[in-house]
Amino acid sequence: MTALLFGLRLSRWGITGFSAVAFVLTLVQTVGFYQIAGHTPAERAAFGRTMSVLAAQFVALFPPPLRPDTAGGYVQFRGFSPLTILFAIWALTSAAGFARGDEERGVLEAALATGVSRPALLASRACGFALALLVAAAAAGAGFVVGLATGAESIGAIALIEACVLLVAIGVACYGIALFAAQLATARAATALAGALLLTLFLDNSLSRELTWLSTWRWLSPFRYYELSQPLPPGGYFDVHGLVVLVGIALLTSTAAALAFARRDLGAPLVRLPSTPHRKSHDAANLPLWRIPLVRGLYERRIGLLVWVAGLAILAVVFVSLTKTIVQVLLSIPTLRGYLSIFVHQQLYPAVLGYTYYDVAELLFAAFAIAQVARWSAEDTDGRLELFLSEPISRASIVLERMAVLVAGALIVTAVSGVTLFYASHYQGIDLNGQRVAAASLMLVPFALVFAGAGSLLAAWNPRAAVGLVGGFAFVSYLDNELATIYKLPAWVQDLSAFKLFGTPLLTGVDNRSLALMLLLALAGVGTSILLMQRRDVGA
Amino acid sequence: MLVEMAVAAIRTSRLTKDYGSGHGLFDLDLQVSPQEVFGYLGPNGSGKTTTIRLLMGMIRPSSGGAYVFGLDCVRDSVEVKRRVGYLPGDVPQFGSLRGGEVVAYLGGMRGRVDRVMVRSLAERFDLDLNRRFREYSSGNKQKLAIVLAFMHRPDLLILDEPTSGLDPLNQQEFYALLREARDGGATVFLSSHVLSEVQRVCDRVGILRSGRLVQVAELEELRHIRVHHVEIEFAPGADIPEARLRSTLGVEDVRVHGMRVTCSVHGSFDGLLHAIRDSKVTELVSTEPSLEEVFLSFFDEPKHKALPS
Repeated sequence: MTALLFGLRLSRWGITGFSAVAFVLTLVQTVGFYQIAGHTPAERAAFGRTMSVLAAQFVALFPPPLRPDTAGGYVQFRGFSPLTILFAIWALTSAAGFARGDEERGVLEAALATGVSRPALLASRACGFALALLVAAAAAGAGFVVGLATGAESIGAIALIEACVLLVAIGVACYGIALFAAQLATARAATALAGALLLTLFLDNSLSRELTWLSTWRWLSPFRYYELSQPLPPGGYFDVHGLVVLVGIALLTSTAAALAFARRDLGAPLVRLPSTPHRKSHDAANLPLWRIPLVRGLYERRIGLLVWVAGLAILAVVFVSLTKTIVQVLLSIPTLRGYLSIFVHQQLYPAVLGYTYYDVAELLFAAFAIAQVARWSAEDTDGRLELFLSEPISRASIVLERMAVLVAGALIVTAVSGVTLFYASHYQGIDLNGQRVAAASLMLVPFALVFAGAGSLLAAWNPRAAVGLVGGFAFVSYLDNELATIYKLPAWVQDLSAFKLFGTPLLTGVDNRSLALMLLLALAGVGTSILLMQRRDVGA
Repeated sequence: MLVEMAVAAIRTSRLTKDYGSGHGLFDLDLQVSPQEVFGYLGPNGSGKTTTIRLLMGMIRPSSGGAYVFGLDCVRDSVEVKRRVGYLPGDVPQFGSLRGGEVVAYLGGMRGRVDRVMVRSLAERFDLDLNRRFREYSSGNKQKLAIVLAFMHRPDLLILDEPTSGLDPLNQQEFYALLREARDGGATVFLSSHVLSEVQRVCDRVGILRSGRLVQVAELEELRHIRVHHVEIEFAPGADIPEARLRSTLGVEDVRVHGMRVTCSVHGSFDGLLHAIRDSKVTELVSTEPSLEEVFLSFFDEPKHKALPS
């Protein structure tokens, strides 16, 4: 019980943050539905058809919606489906944080020294996470109910409970998988391995909607079993078998993780690779890269950068390969065919790639910036910044070097993924405008800079809260872009969203005003962070 | 050169960092001369690390100022750090970087690393720089921090509890290194709560308590502060003046065991001798205090804080 409470205490910010996000997401989507879906049955039906067409573009991410002309169907698609991704990320960070992060910090050793057994400790933390999920899922349900009340509608309690229970089930299943994977790798690689495994399972399910050869393996993915139910729309369904499988996955993987945890040495993976002969040395590293300000930062992050480069490049190939299928779906709708030929004549592929690949790339570049902010924050709290500052280097230089490393890293990632996108498209017979691809890819850099600028400011102000706050800023920025039009917010409010400012560069080119605004926002963030950094106490 | 010699290596003027609720550092006036090894003593939470972080410009003073070689620790912090080697109280985590990479990284930031010095230090402490930081034991992490502090032959070494985690053999090596650095012209400011360490290497000692400097003394001077343990054996049948002893100023901890009395005497012996003048004493033994006892007399009993001059 104490271990359970301790686990909950450690994850209190996660519970608060994810619950708030879940509540806000379902609330704004529900309220948004009533703003845009119309009021008459005919308007709602037309809206539903439009949503179905739009959903076809995102088939690689989410399942097609059921009855999107209703609040239940719409929120199931736009609220609860994205929450599965969010909850999977939460499960990944929590599981890796417990399995290896706490181990690195010595928390596990201290907990085990109290006499609690390893399986009991693992079980208590897993139960704690399930409770945390329950709170966040209830918050999602509450957001939906409150939103429905604004439209003078309601929902059956059973359907709502089913939707919330499914969210908890997919969360615990992902937690169990991540927990098990984290036991297999070294502490350094645990998060990457668990993340790669979850991503593979997610893509296995989502891509198999389009790639028939992949559907043979779809049964492996827990996301598949989540999708067997859509309880919220009228006429929706709830697959008990799917729920049982999800709970079974959670139990099975958690048990396997407990066994692995019981068998491995603390600080070591379950499976140790034979170590290479060690050569003792008393010399400092001779590589001249360490002496060059920008390069040493990139070199230090080389493994992480390689993962980002490879991930984005693979994503580009995947989206290009899906584009033809998506376009065929769009063109198969007679009413759309005419529309498309008028408005996006000859530009259908850039339009689709712009809305799919670059939409996802935006999210990933925001995540890239947040990951860097997390690093800055960690440097401050674990004392590395203090040691850096013990060298004859100014605080402003530290901030500027961080930003330079981020820009250079983002440039490398976007350059490789942009080139991959261009050549993968060419190989598929989709001829994109090279300049537009370059412009759209380069726009991802100032886009990331907006979040980095905000993160730099927050890290200089309060490093412990920086990651949560910049994550919140990214979320609000995303919502601003998604909902500002629906809620008819003033133009300047819309312009505050980096997602809005990114625009559609692959289709329409770069909007110089938006670019200038993004650079201005980033500059303001960096400038303020330098001022704050000069005045603050390091480590406080 | 003469001007340089005249400037204190460290000078603080009413240096204050107020964290509220009585925590922090208050009105610190301190001067450390060049080539001096200055020990900075105090229990946990007394303000040692706060002083060091103020000197390093990591935190800003609430009031007052700190100067290193005449340079303002806030305004001229970059120039200050060019001349300082710093060893923090807690060695930060460098994860998967190898020891040699950490040295190259921080050395690259500094721009002036004596590779021969690095090698010599690593050999001296038998530190394998080819291992990853996460594989280091706490002692090896501390050795790496020592290499980082000494690698550029700084004019001033600011060391926050430098021997924590080192085994006795490496502690001896570290003390030898300190002496060599001092002989080579460096000034050392070393915080510790290990008195034997300070006794071994320092020229002067500052004692800090609850954020205030309570004493600065030469090591010899500190040792001679008159706190003595006294044992008095009275003659059989003699009248033991217990009440008079207890009421005598400067006489503390009076304990009576038969005809034997033990007490501690702070400052002059006049009061004690006056109190026993009418009794027949067969033996009186006064024990010279160790530095540990001097230290404890400061921190265990608040009423002894103000020492007799």
